[in-house]
Amino acid sequence: MKKMISLNINGESYQVAVENRRTLLEVLREDLKLTGTRVMCNQGDCGSCTVLLDGVAVNSCLVLASDAVGKQVETIEGVAQGGALHPIQEEFIAKGAIQCGFCTPAMVLTTKALLAANPDPTEEDIKQTVAGTLCRCTGYVRIIDAIKGAAARRKES
Amino acid sequence: MKEFALYEPTSLKEACALLAQHGDQAKALAGGTDLLVGMKAGWLRPEVVVNLKKIDGLRDISFSERRGLSIGALVTWTQILEHPQVAEHYPALHQAAASMGSYQVRNLGTLAGNLCHASPAANGPVPLLIYEASCLIQGPRSKRTLDLSGLFAGPQKNALAPGELLSEIFLPVPPAGSKSLYLKFAQRKAMELATVAVGSLVQVKKDKFKLVRLALGAVGPVPFRAHKAEKVLLDQAASEEIMRRAAQVAMEESAPISDLRASAEYRRGLLEELTYRALRDCLA
Repeated sequence: MKKMISLNINGESYQVAVENRRTLLEVLREDLKLTGTRVMCNQGDCGSCTVLLDGVAVNSCLVLASDAVGKQVETIEGVAQGGALHPIQEEFIAKGAIQCGFCTPAMVLTTKALLAANPDPTEEDIKQTVAGTLCRCTGYVRIIDAIKGAAARRKES
Repeated sequence: MKEFALYEPTSLKEACALLAQHGDQAKALAGGTDLLVGMKAGWLRPEVVVNLKKIDGLRDISFSERRGLSIGALVTWTQILEHPQVAEHYPALHQAAASMGSYQVRNLGTLAGNLCHASPAANGPVPLLIYEASCLIQGPRSKRTLDLSGLFAGPQKNALAPGELLSEIFLPVPPAGSKSLYLKFAQRKAMELATVAVGSLVQVKKDKFKLVRLALGAVGPVPFRAHKAEKVLLDQAASEEIMRRAAQVAMEESAPISDLRASAEYRRGLLEELTYRALRDCLA
């Protein structure tokens, strides 16, 4: 049996009818067509489904949709503002940190959470953070460069 | 995932009553990083899920010099990792938190859930065994306290009765002057269970071992204390030879299996070396 829940995603309120078993990931992609959030392993290993829940990076495949009620959900669709890319996204492009792009939404969102909590991360802090998201293309080197660049830009502004 | 009835109680008593009422058909949901994975894979097919996240007071982690560390059932690995007094007083737990899952998984997963899932290779049990942690178990009508070692009944099997929940974990203040650490050998640094894990807590006075606690993970059906190896060291002068002998005894106490991570023989060799290093590094 479905029940109505209200989700706040990227500052907008959505009413969705869901079964109890539906994960936040499924509701984002299938009901709301917010397909920037990727699905890959669907068991918490790869990190590609990462979203921010009240600013905290989590695997949306391991969160029941009903557990996101009353929280601010941020997906990759909410990162660029008014058509302008976020500085983190610009750094990923500038440093060549995007190849196939599959892990990029998760990498950008985890970077946002990391820098909000720790504006001046060490390389080890960055590695600990990106270890939660599988990238099969880049070997992570340029992603780490992009995160360092984003941290530096954040400090300037 | 199969559909289930979802309850969101706001008190522990209410949660326990629901779990007691539905018995084997029900599962408690905390962080979800083990439960939902098992439900998606179909290993677990509960008819009823009791979500604990609406219960107040389970997210607290606090330390006092007198009473030690108290960790509520919904405290995440990230909270443990970032708690300054965990790093200061319980380094083995801090190290286990640092190598737990991944950044995102640590934000969801709880220590209490890790313990109740009762994997022999989990990160939580080994450090908690050397700190002699105890558990507050809430039932539908009463509470009881259980030594952590009594929580593990077998691989992926805990000793809780239907209707019981692990509501809080207590770690006494470690003995003055003791050193402790957690060594985990795994194929990768992230998103990996231990091939073998060793925890050690050592107190040396006048160059002799006055207190030794060794806990072993992924080398038996449950994580356990290596009491025979501990006895080898007690009141003995600290030397490489005696630590090597204790490591061999720890290996003999273990009962590893062969699985996808390693053969039993490989695990025995690894355990002996890791036990030696865990002792040696406590003396450094």
